[in-house]
Amino acid sequence: METQQQDETVLREPSKLSFESQRTRRSILASYWIVIFLALPFWWHTTSIERLSLPSARVRAQVEKELAFPVTIDLDATNSSLDIQSLKNDFRQLQKPVLLSSQRWKGIDMQLRLKEDRGTQVVPIPGTYSVAVGKAGALGPKRQLTISENDVPSLLEILSRLVAPYHTSVDSDLREQRVVQYAARYRLAFSLLNEDASLGQTITGWDVDNAIAEYLSPTLSSLSVLHNFTIESQVQLHAPLAFAPQPVTVGNDSAHGLSQEDLTVFINSAHWTLSSSVSNDPVLHFVLFVPSSTQKPLYILDDFGSPTDSSSFLLPQWGGVFILNIAGEAADKLSLSRSHLQPVFSAFRHQLLALLGVPPIPAGMNLVDDDPLSDWQLDAVLRRRALEATQGAQETLYSIVKLVEQIDNMPVGQHVKGDVQDALTALEQVYKVSPSSPTLALRWSSEAFSLASRAFFNPGMLALLYFPAEHKYAVYTPLFASITFPLVVALGREILAWWRDRRQQSRR
Amino acid sequence: MLFPTYLSFLCLTSWILTTVATNASQDGKVREFFGRHDGTSGHTNNWAVLVCASRYWFNYRHMANALGMYRTVKRLGIPDSNIILMLADDVACNTRNKFPGSVYANSGRNLDLYGDNIEVDYRGYEVTVENFIRVLTGRMDASVPRSKRLLTDDRSNIFVYMTGHGGNEFLKFQDNEEISAFDIADAFEQMWQKKRYNEIFFMIDTCQANTMYSQFYSPNILATGSSEIGENSYSYENDNDIGVAVIDSYTHYILQFMEGINKTSQTTMHDLFASYDPSKIHSHPGVRADLFHRTLDKALITDFFGGVSQAEIFPPEDAYPGMQSPSVKPGDTMIDSRIPSTNGSQLSSPTTQGRMFTTLEMDSSWPISLRKWGSMTLVGMLVAWVSLKS
Repeated sequence: METQQQDETVLREPSKLSFESQRTRRSILASYWIVIFLALPFWWHTTSIERLSLPSARVRAQVEKELAFPVTIDLDATNSSLDIQSLKNDFRQLQKPVLLSSQRWKGIDMQLRLKEDRGTQVVPIPGTYSVAVGKAGALGPKRQLTISENDVPSLLEILSRLVAPYHTSVDSDLREQRVVQYAARYRLAFSLLNEDASLGQTITGWDVDNAIAEYLSPTLSSLSVLHNFTIESQVQLHAPLAFAPQPVTVGNDSAHGLSQEDLTVFINSAHWTLSSSVSNDPVLHFVLFVPSSTQKPLYILDDFGSPTDSSSFLLPQWGGVFILNIAGEAADKLSLSRSHLQPVFSAFRHQLLALLGVPPIPAGMNLVDDDPLSDWQLDAVLRRRALEATQGAQETLYSIVKLVEQIDNMPVGQHVKGDVQDALTALEQVYKVSPSSPTLALRWSSEAFSLASRAFFNPGMLALLYFPAEHKYAVYTPLFASITFPLVVALGREILAWWRDRRQQSRR
Repeated sequence: MLFPTYLSFLCLTSWILTTVATNASQDGKVREFFGRHDGTSGHTNNWAVLVCASRYWFNYRHMANALGMYRTVKRLGIPDSNIILMLADDVACNTRNKFPGSVYANSGRNLDLYGDNIEVDYRGYEVTVENFIRVLTGRMDASVPRSKRLLTDDRSNIFVYMTGHGGNEFLKFQDNEEISAFDIADAFEQMWQKKRYNEIFFMIDTCQANTMYSQFYSPNILATGSSEIGENSYSYENDNDIGVAVIDSYTHYILQFMEGINKTSQTTMHDLFASYDPSKIHSHPGVRADLFHRTLDKALITDFFGGVSQAEIFPPEDAYPGMQSPSVKPGDTMIDSRIPSTNGSQLSSPTTQGRMFTTLEMDSSWPISLRKWGSMTLVGMLVAWVSLKS
């Protein structure tokens, strides 16, 4: 029995074997190819980059727009020696297109309303500025301004200075480089640095809490419509300079001096740790530097090498430094009280305002009510910051659209698209609220700017790396060649066999 | 009846940017007038991104290159918070290092570059192409700490230094991946679009380094590299006790030049490029200045390697009451015009050795097409062979 069965197997035709049957072979081959074809869409989907379409038309339309703040000034001219006709002429001069198109007047739409007769009632518009002629120049609350009789001839000059204090000249442009970039939050780092405490006459402590509360807090709270501030402070006992100040002689005493060049390299960043790195908020540094007893007194020198009266200087966009020389007869260990710190913090306050771009008030003006800042100044900063933020948001959005068009490998995800759309909505809000409130305009424009920046900095926006074509061959050839050739060759053989079969059949 | 009479002057509508062009020439004139500010770059802060793209003990010299640059920019006033140092950092504490915790860049081992105050921001396997691109473009996860970020703005001058093994338009990162010249060019363009720099000084020390800056297209970039296409960059010398090459030739001569610079130096980029000597470096360093808007003899070294460029006395205050007051009498002051010196120790000692150690680098001067068609022919031959056999 067994041998018979074996013989049967041996004698069977090869073409009759189940795995050699044409049908089975072709279906196996077909299944491979079907799997490949079915997998193609998946492969395409998983390897292609997600590039959602951005609202480019809206962005382009938005970039064309220009923000303008109306500034309406009511001038009470009833009670003074104001020469109305010449004022009108001067104002027309001011409105010459050349002047208006300047960087200074960009985004400001100034209107002047004159109240010429005593009986007339000016309909008050919310947000208008009122100007009157009085005894002394004063900036009052609620956007009031009193101008003294002496200043009347330069009335327009003063108004322009208050309304458009920036970019008044190329010289001031250079000076305004010191203004820091806008951020909703800043960290203020106050450091008391003793150059070398081991040499005696050390300041071991300072009443920084109360000094800040008294000299800085009022200013900070009026600036709170613009920024939030976090404050940190520290005392260091050994903070050496990286250079030796040059010895000078003042009268009969020897002293040390810092030249202009020394000031630029004064901060010894390699050895001083001036701020903690707990957050990504920009930091403004304020340094109270106490020279060691061998270096003191330390003066700032002018261009001719003679000591100046000033003891503080400002580093653009970085912060300020105050140099404190301790008197020779002072005790070995000192602590600075709140009143000692008054000049220091007054200097720091000025430096802070300069760094934040708050314009100074024109000469001869005073602030009433001991307000740290007037509405005129705050509004000017708000307008400038809102303009900057709007422009920044527009430019960022435009650059996102441009880069996505330019770089094919750059993915655009849902978050980016959403942020771009939100930024555009916020920008539209800016235009809506700008006539009524610069504060709201700033809020919306900074919102738009931070959304646009978030879209730009989205971690998913990282473009795929560039690979030359030869790299792709090098990667794909060993991987796919070994799979593709048997399949292609088998397919070719099957087609050839099928074609031969057909020809033989047709011959018969 | 008197009706209210208003004079309303409508005007100051908004203006489009047409004036920018007219103001520009005026700006230039005024800047020229400000003697000292002549040709200044208008930056207020300096940043440095230093990348050593190699790892392993035998690439000691690349670590030393990056650390030498780190030491130089720090000495010239860029604070650690503004330096992004990407370093494999596996040589200082390598078991093969006979001088643990130290990295030297010369055969006499005069100066320990590792020192006691060094902040490596991206270490070991964090040194990747992706992280480098993320640092440049700022596209980071929200959780990335401040020290790992390049927080620059449109007033920042950035010095980008790269070293490692490279070839025609690519630089290898840790034997694992590559960055191409196109990637860096695109990253710089994205930085420009987002106003993340004022000016960039790009320096690269690798084989065929000059190809790495060939693809740049964004403005205000000054670039220099150690060698031309098809040319290797060689190491300068090796130390017999350390047992490997300690520094690359190009970087060695750059650092040697920088040792003569202090924080207030007026030396310019022109002087630096003029100091290149191909016969000493054993390769032909290149400079690309067509994207840079200033002339090289106006661009100071300290514009990129230094700290602050300007300071103003502000506000003019009276002396501190109760403390010593200056009581200045301008007539009777005498000035000692001693120049403050901040020179560090000399990095390099005069050497009698010539070329000690040439490195084998990836050679990609092969015609690209030959490689491409070679592989295609091979594939074709395989197909033919299979079909013939059947």
